[in-house]
Amino acid sequence: MMVIHYKCPNCGADMVFDSKSGMLSCDSCGRKDNIENFPKEFIRTAFSKEEAKEYHCKNCGAILITDADTTATTCSFCGAGVVLGDRLSGDMAPAKVIPFTISKEEAMKAFQSWCKKGLLTPRGFMTADRVKGIVGMYVPFWLYDINSQVEVNALCTKVRTYTRGDYIYTETKYYDVYRDVDLTYVKVPVDASKKMNDELMDKLEPYDYRYLKDFNMPYLAGYIAEKYNFTDKDLLPRVTARIEEYVESYIRSTLLGYTTIRYQNKQIDIKQKDAYYTLLPVWMVYYDYNQSEHTFAMNGQTGKVVGTPPLSFGKIAAWFGGIASATFIILRLISLIMGGGLW
Amino acid sequence: MRNKIHVVLIVFLLFPFVFKVTALASETKQRVYDFANLLTSEEIHELEVLSNKYSSKRKTDIIILTTNDTKDRDVVEYMEDFYDEQALGYDKPHGNTAIVTIDMQHREVYVAGFYRAEKYLDNHRCDLVRHKITPDLSQGNYYEAFRSFIKISYRYMGVRPGVNPDNIFFYWGFQVLVSLGIAGIAVGIMAYHSGGKITVNENTYRDPGHSKVIQSRDHYIKSTVTKHKKPSNNNSGGGSGGGGGGGISSGGHSHSGSRGSF
Repeated sequence: MMVIHYKCPNCGADMVFDSKSGMLSCDSCGRKDNIENFPKEFIRTAFSKEEAKEYHCKNCGAILITDADTTATTCSFCGAGVVLGDRLSGDMAPAKVIPFTISKEEAMKAFQSWCKKGLLTPRGFMTADRVKGIVGMYVPFWLYDINSQVEVNALCTKVRTYTRGDYIYTETKYYDVYRDVDLTYVKVPVDASKKMNDELMDKLEPYDYRYLKDFNMPYLAGYIAEKYNFTDKDLLPRVTARIEEYVESYIRSTLLGYTTIRYQNKQIDIKQKDAYYTLLPVWMVYYDYNQSEHTFAMNGQTGKVVGTPPLSFGKIAAWFGGIASATFIILRLISLIMGGGLW
Repeated sequence: MRNKIHVVLIVFLLFPFVFKVTALASETKQRVYDFANLLTSEEIHELEVLSNKYSSKRKTDIIILTTNDTKDRDVVEYMEDFYDEQALGYDKPHGNTAIVTIDMQHREVYVAGFYRAEKYLDNHRCDLVRHKITPDLSQGNYYEAFRSFIKISYRYMGVRPGVNPDNIFFYWGFQVLVSLGIAGIAVGIMAYHSGGKITVNENTYRDPGHSKVIQSRDHYIKSTVTKHKKPSNNNSGGGSGGGGGGGISSGGHSHSGSRGSF
């Protein structure tokens, strides 16, 4: 069992990761430290050999309330950011991390402006003052490097019509088409947490991989982090299904210009080359509206918001009526210009 | 603010319907001359009401004329003489008139237009009208045939001369349907995207340095050519024979027209 605190070398307070500067920062005295060179002597770790069920905050001694998948949290008594080191070592050690670049305040603001932008969301929803909670969370993902070898045979046609005299001619040219394609997709993300909604997590993409860093525990200080529930082997079918779609669309892009395509033989061989256990930053926003809770997720790097907002029947009706009448008036005007009467 | 705009738009949309109700003219002028007794008195009354309504909208009298006895005259001549004698016309005696003549003796139908109707119901459009009502006439559905005559000629006279009046684009129903369809699709897309959308595609994760077509072959096998005749524009539907052709009445009134048997 291992609980890790990052103590400020100046004042001894608990330091947390600061999304703005990308450094460890002390809330009490404002000191900032680079993560790579943070002095080891200020990393407080508490070990215990036996299989303890409980973690204790080194700061205040309180029991840290966590569930089995949590790898970083804040102490609910003194607020200190703590990292549960043993849950991040061995097989569970993440390879990469993208640190938060959006702070809690920025996340709130971005969420509010997103709510206001919603064209179909009810009026009351837009105020965004009913946010029940906002949690910065590192969600475990597998980033797959995938290679696929594709061979297809297809019977394709090109159709051309032309007029000569009183006849319309339709000429169909048949082609025997073959493609041998080698495709590599890198860092395709798949979320590995049981708690997270897959659909929601897929919509959060893309992440900017230029800011992908080697994993280092201090990044987690002050945030919640989870460990993975599924191994890269478990999730291979999910990424394979996705790659198959990509391959199909690539193949189609090599067959532009044909009118019809009939595949006679298609062999797609998908191989996993690598998978990196990576923590990606997500702001989770819990929101109460009309007695039901809505959950939103925000990409902690780009600020993209996804989730299912409530829809206002009145607004849907208004938009429908407005678009229909506007289109109708335009059609009437066009028909007037074309020579028809107004009515 | 946005809601107010919608209300205005909806009112604007409903406006024509309100307009229609108040536009019923009050004059009572005979427009159905059923000398061949093809219609019941109620049918005549209903056609009068219908014709009255549409005639005033197009400033053109829409006339129905039937006869059992042309007194040895051709249907065209019969109609011309009738026009001259009755001094038909919406705007003035011998004025704007669209007229369908049924000669039961020779089972012939003649559709004609005078003045404004000569322009808006030219020979080609008279042909179109005649083709549309001939099937009903052949089956003896005279009331139906005359109803469609009134409605179709009314509609055609609302479309600028030289433009195809049967363009589906000019139909109210089509326009309403298209508007509702577009609005439905637009709102559907808005609702679908309200929860955020997937913004990554095949291109996002492909490593361009290590992805390529290794081998490709496009081998031409054969060609086939089929041909079919161009659809002809002068479709001759219903009835037999017939054709275009206007004329000038002995009273000196020029008109367009299309005749045929049924």
